Amino acid sequence: MSRPVDLANDIGEVLLTEEQIAARVAELGRKISADYAGKNLTLVSVLKGSLPFMADLMRQIALPLRIDLMEVSSYGGTATESSGLVRIIKDLSASISGEDVLLVEDIIDTGLTLNYLVRYLRGKNPASLKICTLLDKPARRLVEIPVDYQGFEIPDQFVVGYGLDYSERYRNLRFVGVLRPEVYSSLG
Amino acid sequence: MDHRNLGDNQAEADPMRPAFAHHSEAELARILSFYEVRWQYEPDTFPIGWSLDGAVIESFSPDFYLPDLDLYVELTTLKQTLVRKKNRKLRRLRELYPDVRIKLFYARDFRMLLIKFGRLGLLDELSGTTGQATPPREPAAAAIGASADGMAGADADVAAVAAEVAAEAHVAPDAGRAGRGRRRGRRRRSAARTAAVMRVDAASFAGPAPA
Repeated sequence: MSRPVDLANDIGEVLLTEEQIAARVAELGRKISADYAGKNLTLVSVLKGSLPFMADLMRQIALPLRIDLMEVSSYGGTATESSGLVRIIKDLSASISGEDVLLVEDIIDTGLTLNYLVRYLRGKNPASLKICTLLDKPARRLVEIPVDYQGFEIPDQFVVGYGLDYSERYRNLRFVGVLRPEVYSSLG
Repeated sequence: MDHRNLGDNQAEADPMRPAFAHHSEAELARILSFYEVRWQYEPDTFPIGWSLDGAVIESFSPDFYLPDLDLYVELTTLKQTLVRKKNRKLRRLRELYPDVRIKLFYARDFRMLLIKFGRLGLLDELSGTTGQATPPREPAAAAIGASADGMAGADADVAAVAAEVAAEAHVAPDAGRAGRGRRRGRRRRSAARTAAVMRVDAASFAGPAPA
């Protein structure tokens, strides 16, 4: 890395404040609580980006629920280039057969990862499978997948914070911000 | 070369991998394959302009078709004049074939995708003239596989039309999708004649294969 990360100054614009996020997550929690009353809800989160969202959302859902975590390789990762295919780095720890699964995502843009995950999870025979995302960037969508719960629709900008990273940095920001373009060219 | 049966998640291993006209297309193919989205490279050509006697004078061959999603994808990574040209073709395509689903992937979209995947080093290679790599092919195949992305300037436009017309004439795109009707045969014959004349121009753009 040729340039030190500057959490305060690398962000060009705060897109969503901590308060806005909290309020929306609470709304989503109430809606999910109503929709899944009496069901066997399992939240499946996709590491690493959706971790803060998952942590906040699950505490806003007033229902008994299970959680599970998955991690899939991303295109371009050096560890996975040899296989040439997406790989499950961390699989579910328990069966979701017969469960009402809600896939919790941080952001949907192209839909490529989500498309893969949905197909993978459907193969595990859940009773139902729905999608909840904090951020939706429809302008960049390549694979159309219906989103059941959406936090915010955002413009086509490169955002970081609240779990979202660039080069594994900025995940710990409490807000969602737009990364200054000049940062792209200086971080490896 | 008929690309129709190529590329279904076999891009890296398949010796018959399509000869992409541009590095960006090859990179998108790798991304799609990585996420197990089946793709076909330029499988169909859509006539979008005809002369008064019914000959095809303009057509459009989207870069990719994703059969599982029934979606065409067109990449634009070159200069703004070509983007405008593609936008115009896209509008015409949508007017003539409203059932065809197509997504135009702009240079900005692709750039952001590469940033997301940490492929920053590829950005310079994939845009502008340095991203151009029209692989060597037989003249007919070159005409079929070429696209405007791999070329530049007015000659490129001519060659691109030649390529698209040739594709219409030789690849026999999905008959159920494009160019239906009784005039199709006449258009094809006319297109083939046009392609035969213009093929040399298209082949002249052949260059080294992408790394």
